[in-house]
Amino acid sequence: MKVLSNLMNKQFIVLAMSMTLACITGDLSANKGLEIAILSDKNNDGFIDSSSTMTMKLINKRGDVVTRKLRFKRLEVPTDGDKSIAIFESPRDVKGVAILSYAHKVEADDQWLYLPALKRVKRIASKNKSGPFLGSEFSFEDFSFQEVEKYEYVYLEEEIYLNNPCYVIERKPLDPYSGYTKQLVWIDKENYLVQKIHHFDRKSFHLKTQLFKDYRKYEGFFWQPHEIEMINHQNGKKSILIFDDVKLKSGFTDRDFSQNSLKRSR
Amino acid sequence: MPKSLLMISILFSQLILGEIIGELSFDNRYFFNAGLQEQKKNHTSFSFSPEIFQDNSNRIFHFKVKLRKDSEDSGRNLNDIQELYLINILEDKEIKYGVSKEFWGVTETSHRVDIINQTDFTEGFDGEEKLGQPMIKISLERQWGLLDIYTLLGFRERNFSGKKGRLRLPLPINEKGSLYSSSSKNKRADFAVRWSNYYDDFDIAISHFSGTSREPRFLPSANKINELVPVYEVIDQTGLEIQYLLDSLAIKGEVISRSGQGERFTAATYGLEYTQVGVLQSRIDLGWVVEFNHDDRLESSPFVLGTRFSFNDIYDSQILSGFILNDKSKELGFLLEASRRIGECCLLSLEGIYFDDTEEDNGQKKLFQAFKEDDFLRAEFIYYL
Repeated sequence: MKVLSNLMNKQFIVLAMSMTLACITGDLSANKGLEIAILSDKNNDGFIDSSSTMTMKLINKRGDVVTRKLRFKRLEVPTDGDKSIAIFESPRDVKGVAILSYAHKVEADDQWLYLPALKRVKRIASKNKSGPFLGSEFSFEDFSFQEVEKYEYVYLEEEIYLNNPCYVIERKPLDPYSGYTKQLVWIDKENYLVQKIHHFDRKSFHLKTQLFKDYRKYEGFFWQPHEIEMINHQNGKKSILIFDDVKLKSGFTDRDFSQNSLKRSR
Repeated sequence: MPKSLLMISILFSQLILGEIIGELSFDNRYFFNAGLQEQKKNHTSFSFSPEIFQDNSNRIFHFKVKLRKDSEDSGRNLNDIQELYLINILEDKEIKYGVSKEFWGVTETSHRVDIINQTDFTEGFDGEEKLGQPMIKISLERQWGLLDIYTLLGFRERNFSGKKGRLRLPLPINEKGSLYSSSSKNKRADFAVRWSNYYDDFDIAISHFSGTSREPRFLPSANKINELVPVYEVIDQTGLEIQYLLDSLAIKGEVISRSGQGERFTAATYGLEYTQVGVLQSRIDLGWVVEFNHDDRLESSPFVLGTRFSFNDIYDSQILSGFILNDKSKELGFLLEASRRIGECCLLSLEGIYFDDTEEDNGQKKLFQAFKEDDFLRAEFIYYL
């Protein structure tokens, strides 16, 4: 019940925020953009916890493929951003390396890195997240949870994308350390699921396109894309992320997401 | 001994359906000159570290041995149980029983507070290679932080390069003649406790260790001239670690105060770490480490500047450089290390170390004097099982 009331609170605050914003600016397109973002974000509310395996395929211009494997666990924190752990499985020289993140709504996330060879948990500065993740076309920023509060929005138009009627909104990261100046986001009108994102770099160049595919529904409400593709238009490389063994409500607690728990990952 | 260890590892792998992983490494060091004690120029070693890891959510088992064989230096041969423990996760605490490794600290180039494990001194300069330590550790995770309470059962002696080894002190060390200040010698049970917590961008840990010093002092051997024996005294050491994140800058330091080895003394390492993400619009990250050292026992306060280029490519290519300056003696040391993954199985690293063998006598004790002929290139190839 506490979780439920927290959820209601969250929605209420966000809604109140959006209304205030609309009143102040009188900007209907900003208001509509934010509303769509909130509805899209709400899709994931109430999942409690989730776990999955991730396979990352890194594909170069010539089409050569290398594969990376990770395990991923996530805990919902209703009043703040979520907690998560990514544990590397392969390549084998980084097996057991783990990253613990506490996402926050506005301020920078907290992040720790576990190095099994040294048995060391190291706090890392997470402000600058524009760097590549595991040598892929995904940046750390693309991997972190995209809290509604971290952007400002403008509604642009409706557009049919792959036979799906979609809203197109533009969002601008409020974080000065973001690697992007803006993102165009396609969200389908039926389920409010993100279908596609165009990422614009600091020179406002269309750097990357991110595609969300194979959405499947869990527990009657939780939508998980089973494939996320990131195409880099500058270097011609792409990375594909495939999710398997998706499980909800495994009963994880805060203890499974502590610095101490990292030391148990191998 | 290695045979029995291997047997045990095979036995365990049969008994337990845990995951078997490990690494096989080939390491060659080429020294440009013969050693001060006429040691050979080329040294080769092999090491093998199989491990089994099993995680049953509230019961974790880990077994890892490390075997090393050196072509020249018997002091570098090693048969060590690095990990052989069970963790029980209970409602209000976590208990670890068995042999394990535990790291304490925040700084990069020197580890002052880290004291649970003995250092494998023959492996490298950084003191990061450790020997397994038998222990019972109780961990309490609470609102007020993490409290680790250790009972350390038995003592591991430090291993040193033998007579034919390189990078050693001028006089040979007789490890068999070790002296202890405790009457229980290497059977003494030691105790340690560490509290750690974080408040927003500030991390803190306070620790205390009471037991046999991992770092020995040396005395001339009573039986043989020109030989040293390690002396392991009982010490009390209190440590403090702090780190503050200021945007992308980490400000950190660790300090110890130790009694039991002559006069009480203080030693500290403190400095900054900063990473530039995407230098010059590229994918490359450049990390900087600047660290200062102080030790009441030494005249010099070495200063270290380190850089790390991470190429963020599919090979995880990295180039690391380190520069050490002893302010008083004006000695310099320089290290360059490049590494990359090969295929999906392997890792190759190349390393070079240069000591500035200044002959200038400025009346200061030289720290690198013993290593002045030990400049080397090293290639290491690791295959991951």
